[in-house]
Amino acid sequence: MREIRLAKKIIFTLVKDRVQYNGRLIADFLSIFARCGVLLILYWYVFKLNNGLVNGVTYITIAWSMFLYFTFSVLRLRDISKEIMRDIRSGSVEILLSKPVSYFWYKIWWQIGSGIYPFLVIIIFGGIILFSIIGIPETMSLGLFIPTFLVVFAGAAILSLILYSIVGFMAFWIEDINPIFWMVDKMVMILGGSYLPVALFPSFMYKIALYSPFGASQFITHTVYESWKTNWFLLISIQIFWIVILSILAYIVFLKARKKVSVNGG
Amino acid sequence: MLKEIKFALYAIKKNIQSSAELRTSFLMNVFGMMINNTAFIILWIYFIKSVGIIGGWTPADIVGLQGFLALSYGIIFSFGNGIRWLPEYVSSGGFDRFMLSPKNLLSRIATSSFNSSAIGDITFGIICLVVYALLIHTSFYQILVLLLLVIFSTIIFLAFSIVVFSTSFFFVDSGSVTSGFFELFITPSLFHGGAFQGAMRFIFTFILPSLLVGTLPVEAIKDMSILKLSVVGLFSFIWMFISIKVFNKAVKKYESSNFMTFGN
Repeated sequence: MREIRLAKKIIFTLVKDRVQYNGRLIADFLSIFARCGVLLILYWYVFKLNNGLVNGVTYITIAWSMFLYFTFSVLRLRDISKEIMRDIRSGSVEILLSKPVSYFWYKIWWQIGSGIYPFLVIIIFGGIILFSIIGIPETMSLGLFIPTFLVVFAGAAILSLILYSIVGFMAFWIEDINPIFWMVDKMVMILGGSYLPVALFPSFMYKIALYSPFGASQFITHTVYESWKTNWFLLISIQIFWIVILSILAYIVFLKARKKVSVNGG
Repeated sequence: MLKEIKFALYAIKKNIQSSAELRTSFLMNVFGMMINNTAFIILWIYFIKSVGIIGGWTPADIVGLQGFLALSYGIIFSFGNGIRWLPEYVSSGGFDRFMLSPKNLLSRIATSSFNSSAIGDITFGIICLVVYALLIHTSFYQILVLLLLVIFSTIIFLAFSIVVFSTSFFFVDSGSVTSGFFELFITPSLFHGGAFQGAMRFIFTFILPSLLVGTLPVEAIKDMSILKLSVVGLFSFIWMFISIKVFNKAVKKYESSNFMTFGN
């Protein structure tokens, strides 16, 4: 109960903070336009050249898949790595670890709280704009869509937080985690279907995207494809599998990392 | 002028020496960045494999595009990384110390920070451009044009970065806003250049110079286009002129934050 109260408090405080600073929302809008908006226009041109069909997939499906990928990135869950690194480098991790609150959970709620407001604004407004311009793919009109989307979205958020937390914990051992962060981040970017949607992958790359934790952390992009009707159970199972495995790994790494902390006082 | 350049070079030398002290971290950053950049080449090559050749762009052109971009990005944000810190300097009041310096303000700010990972960008950029030159079997004349275009695209990159980060003086939450503007400039420059047609090409060439940094230089070399070479060259001077004007105007908006406080 205390944990839930803490989570609520952190999230609400951060949402209030984000509402106050409109500059950040403008930045997120510009960023989503630069990445997703421009890319959607380019893909529109590419599909026009290919008579509306590439690899048997329509433009509407590709557009929604990319929109979901980029909107999910507005949550900035990946920033948890850098936040953990900052705490370790500045030494504030000593103070945070001595508090009667789990450091890991505290960081997770903080990350969710700082990204939830721009995420909600962009998914609502962006979704409405995209719907009014191009419509929605058939899969999104099925009754199955909303419940499975919510499950896979929660799974993607949890998996992303765990994956990037493990990268962050590496800062207990090495000075600068940025190179590891870039590698993991780019694996997520490629296998998650950012600039090149998963539907356009060659078959070997599609299999890697399907069975790796990097691809699994972005399974929300699969929800708009035709195959979602038959594949949803398999994909959610893969996601749960990786959540369990990586949670155990993160827990072990965190326990070992705690032993590395030396409190110097001062 | 010569004294300013000598001081800037001295500051860069000290920055590099300081970064190289943490040797493992320095090398990891350099190699990490090179691997990071490779991801974009992989993505766009698979894009071409999936959708076919668009606008005459082949995988070799993607290598050239990433080369131009990584090299200009690397040069500016390794030796002149301080520009990126401008929002932080302005909001924290740290800008005061630059105002009080007897050196040229812009060069003092630019050389105030060094980013070791950008050395990885420079290395990656050079490798890509060499590979590109080999792939398209460049003539001696094309190599000269390529070198000239590297200079032009670096000037454009520098100039537009100055414009973007100078807006820090106009906003309260400047860090977020400038990063949004910068994203709007840099992200389209990473995209497949052949897919930019019509209005999009016009906007990202003449309003935002995203295509002037990589796409147009690649096309200028490939097509041996004097027109495209001239456009990139001309706009590098125009943007440099605009950036200095914008910076000087923006600095006048600065008010010291004075975070030192009095007596507390």
